[in-house]
Formats: sequence, C-alpha cells, structure tokens
Amino acid sequence: MIELLVALLHSVLDAAPPLVFAAVGAVLAERSGVVNVGVEGMMRAGAFAAATAALAMPTPLGLLFGMLAGAAVAAVHALLCVQLRADQVVSGMALNLVMLALGTFLLEALFNSSSGSPQIAPLPKWLGHSPLTWLAVLTPLLVHAVIQRTPWGLRLRAAGEKPLAVAARGVRVNRLRWTALLASGALAGLGGATLSCATLDHFEHHMPAGLGFMAVAAMVFGRWSALGAALAATFFAFGDALRIGLVSSAPQVLDYVPQGVLLALPYALTLVVLALRPRGGDAPKALGQPFDPELR
Amino acid sequence: MTTLLRSAPSLLAVLVSLLLSFLALAAVGDGPAHALDAFLAMGWGAFGDWPRYLETGVSSAVLRPLGEAGTKAALLTLTGLSVAVAFRVGLFNIGAQGQMVVGALAAAVLGAKLQLPALVHVPLCLLASALAGAAWALLPAVLKLRRGVHEVISTIMLNWIALNVVDNWLVTGPLRAAAAGDLSIAGTAEIAPSAKLPLLLGTGSRLNAGLLLAVALALVVWLFTTRFVRGFEWRVAGAAAETARSSGVPLGRVVVEAMLTAGALAGLAGAVLVLGTELKYPATLGAPYGFDGIAMALLGQGHALGVLASAVFFGALKAGGTRMQLLGVHKSFPELIQGLALLLVAAKLVWERLLTKRGAR
Repeated sequence: MIELLVALLHSVLDAAPPLVFAAVGAVLAERSGVVNVGVEGMMRAGAFAAATAALAMPTPLGLLFGMLAGAAVAAVHALLCVQLRADQVVSGMALNLVMLALGTFLLEALFNSSSGSPQIAPLPKWLGHSPLTWLAVLTPLLVHAVIQRTPWGLRLRAAGEKPLAVAARGVRVNRLRWTALLASGALAGLGGATLSCATLDHFEHHMPAGLGFMAVAAMVFGRWSALGAALAATFFAFGDALRIGLVSSAPQVLDYVPQGVLLALPYALTLVVLALRPRGGDAPKALGQPFDPELR
Repeated sequence: MTTLLRSAPSLLAVLVSLLLSFLALAAVGDGPAHALDAFLAMGWGAFGDWPRYLETGVSSAVLRPLGEAGTKAALLTLTGLSVAVAFRVGLFNIGAQGQMVVGALAAAVLGAKLQLPALVHVPLCLLASALAGAAWALLPAVLKLRRGVHEVISTIMLNWIALNVVDNWLVTGPLRAAAAGDLSIAGTAEIAPSAKLPLLLGTGSRLNAGLLLAVALALVVWLFTTRFVRGFEWRVAGAAAETARSSGVPLGRVVVEAMLTAGALAGLAGAVLVLGTELKYPATLGAPYGFDGIAMALLGQGHALGVLASAVFFGALKAGGTRMQLLGVHKSFPELIQGLALLLVAAKLVWERLLTKRGAR
C-alpha cells in the first residue's frame, strides 16, 4: 500500500510541473484582468523553442528560450488585447490556432519531420526528479506571495477588479497588464519547455495536446489563486497518475469505468464545481474588459 | 459601399496573411522560387488545375480539386455559422468542436444501425445530429443563465468531455465496428448506402449534397437575422443587452434559442462529415473544423454570407494544402494562413482607425 502511494507520488511529481507552471501563469494574466485562453499556444511555443534551442546549447539554457518564446506569444496577445483593445478570447484562440499550425510548419521546415524533433541531452536529476519539479513546487508559493503580499500584487489585483481606481491612483493599468501577460507567457512557455525537455527529451508534433486548456481549467478550479490553481493542477495530475497506475496494475478497472470517461473527469469536475459555486464569486470583476486610459 | 467597407478588414487581413506566410515559407524553406511553386500548387489544388486540363481531362484536373474544396467549404460554413449565430447574441461558442463530435457520432450510429429508404434515412440522421449538437450546446446556455458560468469556460470543458468520451471510449469500445475476420477496423461500422449524402459531381469527386445544405442554411441564417423580428431581437440582445432588456426582449429565451441553433449547426457539420465523406465515425475525427469555425465567423464579420465567403476561400486553400505536401510543405500550411488572418482581423481598432477618417471620433 505504502509502496503504491510512493509510486503515485513520484509520478505526480513528474506529471504535474507543466500543468502547474501554465496554470499559475494563467492566474497572473487573469488577475490583471486579461483573459488568457492562449495558454495552449504559449505552451506549444515554449515546448518547441526549448527543444530546438537545446540542440545547440545546454538544455537548461534551452529552457530559457522556451520561456522567451512563451513570452513572445504573450506579447502578441498583449499587443492585441491591451494596446489595441481586441476581444481577449478571440485573440487567445487565434494565437492557439497560429501556434498549432506554426509548430507543425516549423517542425517540417527545420527537422524535415512531421512527428518530432531530434533528441536532446536530458536534464540532470535532483533527488530523483528533474530540477523543474522542484521549481514547480516553489513557483506557486512565490507567485502567490507576490500577488497577495507585495504592493505590485495589490495593484495587479486591483487592475483586474477596478482598473479605474488603479488609474486614479496614478498607476498605469495597461503597463501592469503587459507585465502580467509577459510573465504569464513565460510561465506557460516554461510549462511547455518542461514537456519537451523533462517529461520527454524532444518536441512531439501534438504537444501540448490540450494541457493548456487543462491549465485554464485548473485556474478556474483553483478560484483564480496561484496556490489554488497549483493545487488543482496537482490534483488533475494525481488523477491522471492514479488512472495510469490503476490501468497498468489492475486493468479490470476499465471494465467498470472506461478510459475515455476517466480522461474526461477533470473537465467534468471543473464544470460541476463551477455550477455549484455561488454566482460570479471568484473571477476578477474587470476580467475581459479592455482598459482605455483616455476614456476616464 | 458599406458592404465593401465592412468586409475590408477581412479582405486585407487575408491578403496580408498570405503575404506573411509566403515570406515565412521563402525564409525557412528553399527560397522564394520554391515558395512560389508551393503556393501555385496550393492554388491549383484549391481552385482546379486548369493548366493541366488538356493533359488529364476535366475530371482529375478540375472536378476533384473543386470537389475537395467544396466538401471542406461545407463543413467550415456550418461550424462558422454555429459560432456566428452565437456571436449574434453576444455569446462565444468555442464549443462548436464538441457539438460537431456528438453530431458526427449520432449520424454514424443511426446511419449504420438503421435500414430505411434513403429519402427517410438521410433526413433522420441529419435531424439526430442537429438534436445531439443542440443538446450539447444547451448545457452551457443553462449554466450561463442559471449559474452565471461563462460560456467560454464551459464550452472548452465540454469540448474535451465530448472528445474523450466519444473518441477514447465509445468509438474504441461499445460502438467500435466488428472486426472483419482477423482484421480489426478502427472507428464505428460503415453507414448504410441509404444514409450517404448524394454525390454532386459523380464518382470522380467526393463533393456531396452537404454543400447544398450548408449554402441553404447560410441563406436561412442571413434571412432570419436580417428580415425577421426574432432575428432582430437576437441582434439587439447581442449588441445592447440593457436596451434589449428594457424593451422587453426575453434575454434568457434568446440565449437558449441561439445556443440551440449554434449547437444544431455544428452538429450538422458532424453529420455532413460522416454522411458525406468519412462514411463512419473514424478513429479520430481529424481536422478541427469546430475551431476553424471561430476563424470563419470572425473573418466573415459575424455575417452569414461573410461566413460562407470565408469558408469557400479557406475550404479551397485547405484542399490545396494537400498538394503542397508534394513539395515538402506540411498540409496544414493553410491553417497558418487562416490563423494569421484571424489574428490580424482581431486587431479591430487598427482597422477602425485605418478605415474611418481621422478625428471622426
């Protein structure tokens, strides 16, 4: 029994980090008032850039390129949503579509392959896991502290709730949102880079295969708090580890609950939790509303 | 003139994205000459290989590419209309993909299990798909009205629920086709001949009556939103919810009606895919037509005929994409063009500033 639990814990520590990084990043963006359904595209950019860069340099440096790529996609999102006041959901979904196609295109153009990029040098292991695992434990605590305990975090939260009040205090709302989005993109990019550099050792053509949307679900599930989102992400990863563990150790489980239903469970749970929650409780009040500093 | 002005952002966005993607291909590929070849191949695959007409004859040079283009245009029109109809009342239907999946499954099951004359079988399958799609879209509408759950989140969740339950359970499990001897078959059982949509260009091309259905529905949606009181109510509800409420438009009813219609349209896309070209629910549904629908709706400026126009254009490009593969460019290249165009058209403010006189505000 204990052995089983330890095995589960190990697979959660391997599976959760991509989701944790991306979910915490999504929290940063949305607390500033900008919807981020583009996490999937940002993760894909990070996964591709990191795996490609790591071919030419040490893998840890490649991770930085993954973060940069995620932030670059987020910069386009910020340009459209913050600067040009475009619809934030449209921009996010458009970025997802572009990155999906661009990833496939670049894979073919650079590596002449439609399935994956060449292998890279693996990351070292610390205490049996990739260093990114331990970074994923620290990041939510850090981001939570920044959002909840620093003056910048207070302004960030206010920009998502009542941007006019922030502007009246002489703080530039849109600059806050730019910063939050860039950080959000960098974290999503790191999540993607974790997929291609730690979970696997190359970029797979379908990465991140819906994990970005799962991260958005974790953010909602975790009530737009960094710790909550990270816990929800870990919970999803735990569910996944449990499923994989159960299926390999006791395949007869699938006679009672089919694989597809188990895979759909996190999404269904998120939906149920949303439906049971009091109306309009947790989402930032100004979420999705562009801020025009000239219209005050 | 106003129509031209309204479509100008989309037209310019498509042109710019064509240019950008051409430059991208020239930069990372084998230079401009190769990129030009690839674009030409895409064009011939999209709109008919007219130069080879004399060599190979009308069937393979022209009808087959046009047929592929029309088949894809039909699907894009239906999912595009689905997203556009929800837009009309101010809802963002990201769930067209999931609604299409359940619609496709309904058509595949009824198409294979029933034995009926074609005149009854086809409409029955279409109806079932529309109902399945509508039911899948009703949930976000109810969650929005009753519990204040934002439809973007709920439809994203429902997409993944549909995908996992259908692709990873039903189609690989209980509904999987019986093995033919030693050969196991992926996907559900093939539909009965009576459930197939009639072919329009003979057997040389896969073009089927789904295109007629899509064009007809585009016209119906256009008439409904512009010429009927109900359609006007939808538009008011989407453009100015407060005005609608104070003038007695029942917002709850409007939201439910629009989401049911959106779901039915996406469900029909699933039916056209299964009854027209796939002839069963395949192991995986493949191309994300539901997500493409978002691009079609926005490039069409939310207008039913605009959706039709962008669907015809991008349907053709997608058909042409398969020919690019011969030149070493992945067949999803047209999706890059489409994504870039969507991104450009999303920057509404730029277009407004460009197209209206300075200082008009």
